[in-house]
Amino acid sequence: MRWLPSLAAAAVAVLAPAFADAQTKIDFFFPVPVDGKLAKEMTRLVKTYNDSQKDVAVTAVYTGSYDETKLKAQAAANAGKPPAVVLMSANFVLDLKLSGDLVSLEPMLKADGTTRMQFLADFWPALHANATVDGELYGVPYQNSTPLLYYNKDQFKEAGLDPEKPPQTWAELVADAKKLTKGNGDTIERYGFSMPEGYDYLGWLMEALTMSNGGKYFNEEYGGEVYYDTPTMLGAAQFVEDLVFKHKVMPQGVVEAGGVSTNFLAGKASMVLLSTGSLSFIRDNMKAAYGVAFVPRNVRNAVPIGGGSLVMFKGLNDEQKKAGWKFIKWLSSAETLAGWSRFTGYFAPRKSSYDLPEMKDFIAKHPDAKVALEQLPYAKPWFATYQTVAVRKALEDEIQAVLNGKKKAPQAIKDAQRNADALMKPYVDQTALKLP
Amino acid sequence: MTSIATEAPSLAEIRPARRALRVRLGRRALPYLLLAPSILLLAGFTYLPIFRVIWDSLHEQIHGSRENHFVGLANYVGLFSDTAFGQAVGNNLVYAAATVPFSMGLALLFALALQRSTRFNAVLRALLLFPSMVPLVAAASLFFFIFLPGVGLFDYYLAKIGLHGANWLGDPDIALWSLIGITVWKNAGYYMLFYLAGLQTMPGEVLEAATIDGANGWQRLRYIIIPLLAPTTAFVLVIALINALIQVDHVIVLTKGGPSNATKLVLYYIFEQATQNFAAGKAAAASVLSVAFLLALSVISLKTMERGAHAAS
Amino acid sequence: MRRASLVIAGLMLVVVFFWSTPFLWTLVASFRPDAGAGIGMASLVPDYKPTLANFSDALEAGDFAIYYLNTAIVAFGILAVQIVTISLAGYAFARLSFPGREIIFYVFLLQLMLVPPVLIVPNLRAIVDLGLYGTLLGVMAPYFASAFGTFLMRQTFRQIPRDFEEAATIDGAHWWQTLWHVLLPMAKPGLVAFSLVSLMAHWNEFLWPLMVLNEPRTQTLTIGLASFALGSEGGKEWGVLAAGTLLVMFPLLALFAAFQRQFVDSFMFSGLKG
Repeated sequence: MRWLPSLAAAAVAVLAPAFADAQTKIDFFFPVPVDGKLAKEMTRLVKTYNDSQKDVAVTAVYTGSYDETKLKAQAAANAGKPPAVVLMSANFVLDLKLSGDLVSLEPMLKADGTTRMQFLADFWPALHANATVDGELYGVPYQNSTPLLYYNKDQFKEAGLDPEKPPQTWAELVADAKKLTKGNGDTIERYGFSMPEGYDYLGWLMEALTMSNGGKYFNEEYGGEVYYDTPTMLGAAQFVEDLVFKHKVMPQGVVEAGGVSTNFLAGKASMVLLSTGSLSFIRDNMKAAYGVAFVPRNVRNAVPIGGGSLVMFKGLNDEQKKAGWKFIKWLSSAETLAGWSRFTGYFAPRKSSYDLPEMKDFIAKHPDAKVALEQLPYAKPWFATYQTVAVRKALEDEIQAVLNGKKKAPQAIKDAQRNADALMKPYVDQTALKLP
Repeated sequence: MTSIATEAPSLAEIRPARRALRVRLGRRALPYLLLAPSILLLAGFTYLPIFRVIWDSLHEQIHGSRENHFVGLANYVGLFSDTAFGQAVGNNLVYAAATVPFSMGLALLFALALQRSTRFNAVLRALLLFPSMVPLVAAASLFFFIFLPGVGLFDYYLAKIGLHGANWLGDPDIALWSLIGITVWKNAGYYMLFYLAGLQTMPGEVLEAATIDGANGWQRLRYIIIPLLAPTTAFVLVIALINALIQVDHVIVLTKGGPSNATKLVLYYIFEQATQNFAAGKAAAASVLSVAFLLALSVISLKTMERGAHAAS
Repeated sequence: MRRASLVIAGLMLVVVFFWSTPFLWTLVASFRPDAGAGIGMASLVPDYKPTLANFSDALEAGDFAIYYLNTAIVAFGILAVQIVTISLAGYAFARLSFPGREIIFYVFLLQLMLVPPVLIVPNLRAIVDLGLYGTLLGVMAPYFASAFGTFLMRQTFRQIPRDFEEAATIDGAHWWQTLWHVLLPMAKPGLVAFSLVSLMAHWNEFLWPLMVLNEPRTQTLTIGLASFALGSEGGKEWGVLAAGTLLVMFPLLALFAAFQRQFVDSFMFSGLKG
C-alpha cells in the first residue's frame, strides 16, 4: 500500500490542469446533438478564438449529447471543478437555475453598461423566455432549431401530388399521407408520414402539435404548471393516434430520430418531421429531390424553439467569470453565429446575422434554409419546468403507449397530467401553494 | 550483586527470546497484514458504501440546496408508489428469467457441440466468443442499426425472405425481448467457456462405461453429463444472475428505458433517479433494495459456491 | 457416429454464421462509401469500392489515441494492483491459519455478489470525497480488491502440494520468497485466466467511468463510443458509427485472436471450472 499515495500523487500531477501564467484557463463543455463533424468545427472555432487573443485560453470539451452534458457539468460542479461555459439544452436552464447550479449573467451585463433588454434586442423574440429566469438573464442563445416538415418531391410526383404544394394543414397532411402510403396487403412498404418518437424528441414534437392546435404546453412564467389534460393536447394526442390506427399512414410503435431520418433517406417515409438542425445532414445525404415546409397547422401556425444556450456555472472565481463572459460574447457575435448556422443548419439566434452578405448569399442558394427562417416568426418558447426531463417523460411515456395501441388518447393525457403534477408537487408546495 | 545477576538474564539470553517473540508476533500479525490491503479496499468501496447508502435512503436532499433532512422511510414509500420502479422490477425479473436460462442453455449446447479440440472447433469457439469480448456499448450501437425498423439489418433480410419485420425497439411488447436477445448473443459464448472447462475435467471412463452400458446420447446427457456439470452450472448461474442485474449499458444506448418504461431495468432506474431527476434519496432506497436482494442471493448461493470450491480444491 | 458429428458441425457452422452477422455487417458497413443511409446500408455484401472515409471521420470526431491510452491505463492499472492484493490475500487464506479466518473469508465471499455497479451512487460520493472525481484513479479504486481473484488464488494455491514450499522454508526462505519464487510461478494458469477476465471486464466497462469521468483527456473508449452513438438529434451516419465501433472492438478482438488457445486453455486449467 505504500506506493498507493505516490501513485495517486502521480496521477493527480498528470491529470490536473497545469497552473499557468497570466492567461485565464477555462473549460467549455459542448454537446453535439447532430453529428460528429460539428465537434471538429467547434474545436476549430475555439482554436480561432484562442489564437485571436492572449487573455483567455479556452479548452473545448466535447461532452456527447445534451443529457450527458448536463450530467457531466453538474457532476463537475459538485466536485468543485465547474466548467466556466457550457452549451446547455435551452430548456434545462430553468431547472439548473432552480437547483442552484447557474450564475446570473446580470452582473456581467451591468459591468458592460448594458441591460438585459438591450442585450436581447437583437435575438429573436421567441428565444427570450428560455434565456431568462425570474427576470434575470441566465443563458445566451447559441444554436437554435424548430421542427420542420421534410418531404420527398419525387414521391409527391409519383403519387400525383404537386411537389411544390406541401400540406399546410392537418387535413391536407392526412390526405397527402394517404396517397403517399404504399402497401401490399397488410404490410406497408412506404409510410406517408413519420416522426421521431423517442424520449426528448417526442415531447418537443407534441409541443409543436399542441401549439399548432392553438394550445400551450406549459406555463411560460411559472415552472410548476403543464397543460397536458387540455382540449388542445387531447386533439394533438388523438391526431397522433389516428395517424397510426385510423388513417394508417404512420408506423405503429416508437421510431427513434435515427430511424426516421434513415427511412426518409431510403425513401421509406415520404414526409417526416425533423429538426431544422438536420438540414445539412439531409442536404448532404438525400438522393431524391426533397422540399421543406412549415409544420402543418390545425388552428394556427406555431412551433417550439429548440437548441442550446450558453450558460455559466456557479463556483467560478472572478477571473474565470470574466474570461467566460468574454468568450460567450465572442461565440455569440453575429459573425460567429452566422458561420455556425451555415455549417450546421441551426438558425442563428441573432437577427443581425442575417444582414451579413455571406448569410444573404447562403439563404439565396439554399431555399430550404429560407423556409426554416420564415417559420421563425411563429416560434414560441420551449417547455421548461421544475424537473423538466421527468415532467416531459410523464407525457412521452403515455404518448408512446398511444402509439403502440396500449392506451387511448383521452386516458393517456389524463394519466400524463396526474404523473406530471405529482412530480412538480414539491416545487408547487414551496411556491404557488405556500400560503401565509 | 549476585541477586541482580540471577534476576536479570544476560544480554546473550535476551536477544533470542525477543527475536522469538517478534517472530511469533510477526507470524501472528502476518495473515492480517497480508489481508489488510484487500480488507481496507473492500471496506472502503463495498461495506462502508452500504451503510452510507442506507443512511442516504433515509434522508432527502432538497432540490436547489445541499442540505439533508431525515425523512424516515419516505423514500421507500415514494419508491413503492412510483409505478416506474414497479415496472423496472418486473422488467428485471423477466429479463433475468429469460437471459439466464437461454444463454446458459445455449452455452451448454455450444460446449457439447464443440468440446473436441479440433482446429475447426477452435475457430467456431473463437467466433462464438467474439461477442463477449466487445463492450456492451459497442454491441448496443451495432444493434441500433440492426434493429432499425424498415431499413435495418433484420428488417432488410426478413423482407428478402418475405417476412414482415417488427418495431424491435419501439414496441413495448418486443423491446425488452430485443435487449434480451442482445444479452444472450453477448453472453452465451462466455458461459460456453465455463462449460468447456467443466467438460474437460469430466472423467472419460464414466462416459465410456455409460456408452458400453448402452446409454444413448440423451441418457448420457441427462443422467451423467448434466449432473456432473452441476458445480459449473451453479457457478455460471450466479454470474449470469449478477449480470442480469448490473448490465444496463445497452439500455442507456438503445432505449433509455422506453418505450413507456418497457425496458427500464432496476440499475437504469437508479442511474436515472440519481443523475436526471435529482432524486438521490429514491436512488439510494432502490440501491439498498438491490443490495438486500444480492445479499439474500449470496446466502443462498454461498453454500453452492463453497461446495464448488471444495470440489475444485 | 461419423455422420452425426458431420451434421453437428454443419449445424454449428450455420449457427456461428448467424452469430457473427453483426460483426460482418460492421466490417462491410465501415468501408462503405455513402455513410449517410439508404436502403442498401443493411446489405452484408460489399458491393462497392471500399473507402477509408468512415474511419477518418470517426478518428476526427473522437480522440481515439487518448481513449486507447486511458482505457489501457485503467484496465492494466486495475490488474496490476489486483495481482498484488489477491496474491497476498489468497496466500493468507490458503496457507496460514489464524483466528477469524472463516469469518473474514465470508466477508470476502459476500463481496463476490456486492459488485461495485450496484453501489454506483454511494461509491461516486466516496470518490468525490477522496478528491478522485474526474480522474482515472477514481475509476480504478473500487476494483483494486477483488473477492473473485482472492477466491481464485486461494483455490490455486491450495492445489499446489506443500512439499515445494517446505523444501524452500527449510532452505531458510521467507514467506514472500516462497510466494514469489514457488507459488506464483506455479499459479500461472490461474493468474493468466484471472488477468484476461479482469482486463476484459474493465476494458469494456461503461456506466461507472461514465459517472466518474468528465473531461475529454480522461475519456475511455466506451464513453467515446457512446458519445458517437448517442449524440444525435437527427441524422445517423451509420458507416461512421460502424467504423467507430470497429475501432473500439479491434484491440481486444486482435488480442483474443492471437491468444485464443492460451485463453481457452488457461480457462480450463484454472479453478474457473468452479
